[in-house]
Amino acid sequence: MRLTDLLGAEVIDQEGRSAGRVHDVRLVQDGPPVGGFGASLRVAGLIVGARGIGARLGYQRRHVKGPWLVRVLAGWLFHDGRYVEWDRVQTVQPDRILISVPVRDLSQPEALESG
Amino acid sequence: MAGRVLDAGLHLLDRQLVDRDGRLAGKVDDLELTFPDGGGPPRVTAILVGPAALGRRLGGRLGAWVEAVANRLGDGEDRRPARVSFAVVKRIGSAVELSAPKAELETDRLEAWTRDHVIGHLPGASDAPD
Repeated sequence: MRLTDLLGAEVIDQEGRSAGRVHDVRLVQDGPPVGGFGASLRVAGLIVGARGIGARLGYQRRHVKGPWLVRVLAGWLFHDGRYVEWDRVQTVQPDRILISVPVRDLSQPEALESG
Repeated sequence: MAGRVLDAGLHLLDRQLVDRDGRLAGKVDDLELTFPDGGGPPRVTAILVGPAALGRRLGGRLGAWVEAVANRLGDGEDRRPARVSFAVVKRIGSAVELSAPKAELETDRLEAWTRDHVIGHLPGASDAPD
């Protein structure tokens, strides 16, 4: 599987409701060691939302201040972002990902402290 | 226990690859994700580089065109993107630093092929200084 099999795919729950499209994939460096890199990167979850521009600009991260106007605008663009833990992913199909949790129960992605 | 947290698109895609000696070695166009034999979530096992990887990512007509051109140029022999194993990744920062020299990477294969099969055939190519 490739990262691009996940990016842009529509995330759909068991009731057929759409949570939007995957606009990023969260990785955690806690897998088995690989070469000189140390612990490998594990796929932890999907960042999903109808609008992903705020995240692309890095404005979902707490330490990013930026010009206030851009921050407010980016905050609005990101407000409907949702996070799907990887263990809630049931099937990855071309351009479609089925999840086991209802869309209404998804929380917002946690902001990264650093990066 | 908690390891470093990264967002693949934000922190890895399009980052410059830099080899052991500080030479540029392509950009991160895609990532290879592998499911472990024993089950569990996929892990990042390689960085994929080159037009064959980029075309798929661009999607739509432009992506199909880029991939078709890559395939055409490859003449069917090397359609897959260059693969850089995560075992040679040293650090992820504003660039992705590698522990191997560029000559040992598959990305060098793409560059050499383009030089020999495309650039070398352009009129005046032999006049270029080394």
